Amino acid sequence: MTDRRIYVDYIARTEGDGAIDIVIGPNGELKKARWEVWEPPRFFEAFLIGRKAEEVPEIVQRICGICPHAHHIAAVRAVERAMGVKVSEQTVLLRELLHYADWIMSHALHVYCLAAPDFLGYESVIAMAGNPDLLPVVGKALELKRLGNDLIVLLSGHEIQNRTSVVGGFTAVPAKSDLEKIKERLKAAKDFAFETVKLAAKLASQPPYPDLVRKCEHVALHDVRKYAINDGRLVSTEGLDVPDWEYPVWIIEKHVPACNCKHAIIKGRDSFLVGPLARVNNNFDQLSADAKKAAEEVGFKVPCFNPFMSIVARAIELVHSLDACVTLIDWIGEPKFEEPTFEYKAGESYAVTEAARGICCHGGRIDKDGVVQKWDIVAPTARNVYNLEKDFQEFVPKLLHLSDEELTLKCEIMIRNYDPCQSCATHSLKVRLHRER
Amino acid sequence: MAKPKIAFFKFSSCAGCQLSVLNIEPVLLDVLGAIDIRYFVMAKRENHEGPYDIGFVEGAVTSPKELLELKKIREECSVLVAMGTCACFGGLPSIKNYSGFSQKELEEKVYTELWDLKSFPAYGIDYYVKVDYYLRGCAIDLGELVTLIKSALKGIHPRFRFHSVCNECKMKENVCLFLTKGKPCMGSVTAAGCGALCPSLNRPCEGCRGPASDCNAASLARSFVEDLGLSKADVVRKFRKYAGNTPEFSKGAEAV
Repeated sequence: MTDRRIYVDYIARTEGDGAIDIVIGPNGELKKARWEVWEPPRFFEAFLIGRKAEEVPEIVQRICGICPHAHHIAAVRAVERAMGVKVSEQTVLLRELLHYADWIMSHALHVYCLAAPDFLGYESVIAMAGNPDLLPVVGKALELKRLGNDLIVLLSGHEIQNRTSVVGGFTAVPAKSDLEKIKERLKAAKDFAFETVKLAAKLASQPPYPDLVRKCEHVALHDVRKYAINDGRLVSTEGLDVPDWEYPVWIIEKHVPACNCKHAIIKGRDSFLVGPLARVNNNFDQLSADAKKAAEEVGFKVPCFNPFMSIVARAIELVHSLDACVTLIDWIGEPKFEEPTFEYKAGESYAVTEAARGICCHGGRIDKDGVVQKWDIVAPTARNVYNLEKDFQEFVPKLLHLSDEELTLKCEIMIRNYDPCQSCATHSLKVRLHRER
Repeated sequence: MAKPKIAFFKFSSCAGCQLSVLNIEPVLLDVLGAIDIRYFVMAKRENHEGPYDIGFVEGAVTSPKELLELKKIREECSVLVAMGTCACFGGLPSIKNYSGFSQKELEEKVYTELWDLKSFPAYGIDYYVKVDYYLRGCAIDLGELVTLIKSALKGIHPRFRFHSVCNECKMKENVCLFLTKGKPCMGSVTAAGCGALCPSLNRPCEGCRGPASDCNAASLARSFVEDLGLSKADVVRKFRKYAGNTPEFSKGAEAV
């Protein structure tokens, strides 16, 4: 009897370079279950030392092309907190609108281009588009993604890297007439977002997914007044409730024997999950009325500890994001130009935002001349690595009857549940993972 | 005509330029119908070995593994495109080359398990292999991406601009941020093609598209110090950011 090995050297339809290595012993025991991040390190935390404070948000948004705004806003808030810079209510609302636009783009991308092909039996969305029955859906999905992108461009000048948001505010603001135009498109997109929730629920209800439940701690930002995205307290399904700037105290990395990677745990407890499922579990009450209605229609109930339901949580957040953008545009009204200003001041602080794929933490120390002395970055995917490995340990033994090919796909889906961005993960993981030859 | 075989590769980068390929939504399905994507791990599960007609490479080269892959990719691709500022010039990862820390010190600052770390200074891909076309920008300009794909389909050279961002700024009738507002704008030494994106949004150009042809970076660097009162360290930070590896921007960093 020999070991059975599932190995994927380059996981498709995720951002960045990662691998899966699973070894199953002759009696079905799991000998090894690892998610290896192969992204080359870029040393952001090191080369930020000596840069100017106002450069940090500009530079760190380039850690990840899929969630640049989560990195940017966490960093800009950390810098402003450290230097005691106050920003206007309009700036807070515009940043929120920008980040929700990013969620619309990212969630539409994930649900339709990265995740749906798995459930529908296609190798990619390109192949899906080749089926005349699916082509209209793909077309609508791209329209929805474009809507997110158009709002991002309107606010920040560019689809990927924002040009307008800086320490102290925005260098340019959109015209009210343009915001109103996009508001109509956001409203019109709601029907398709509802359809997306139904589709996601249908996909995730196929066997064996409904049986794959694993309870673990779900961590998210929380704000009693609104669905938390850029600000709030760090809370969890196990009772964590602390200010976001205390994340370095509560989220710690533990070296695990016989493993070359460090694992993120909540102080005194164990692994945890971040992302849309964690957010919906912790913040269901703050979702928009229609998002709650969409959840109810497909029978989605919180708390939900089935990681395969992440795609449903993401779709529910799509409905919520469209509503949130409409509300924000109404609140913003006629944007006024305000010259962003700040003064250098020595200080140290931290801040957390909710990237589409989970909490994104930035912070550090700045000297009196505005020069960075230390910068710490913790990206969502780094948080989820240990939790994913626990999913493998729980679920792989339940799926041993599948062929290697099927089991491999299921393991890939387990990773794609987290919508990982491995470029993000690398530099902050502080790990090197070893591939057994 | 057979559909050109296309491949997308990623080295040390944020994946934003690859994502840009999926951000041309209005024409995406048309483009996908006209080309044959043979390798694109971020978007596809079924990927195929070369040779390819056109290879797009995103990211800087920072490890021995990437260097070996790059050399193989060059052999497999008839046309090689550096996609984005990281692949063109080293991009933001190249800041580490001028951080004042040695590679050993950089590694110790970020990682604890150093035994398996293999990283070297970050350069653009043409430091190692011949590159046929450059898509500049952090991230790339979608218009230029579509222009390049269209040109490839027609078998003609894409027409990219290498004059400075100033030209595009003037065509947009923007107020000059440098001369009238005293902001340290790098538009006069940076290659156009972005439509003067940042200055049009009241933000000084940071040079993300790399040097314009015949740029005088040394003169701009001195002007930053003498006319705008920037410190020497500030000027060095400006020129050693997106394209600090280029001889042109090096002259700017070394002029003060």
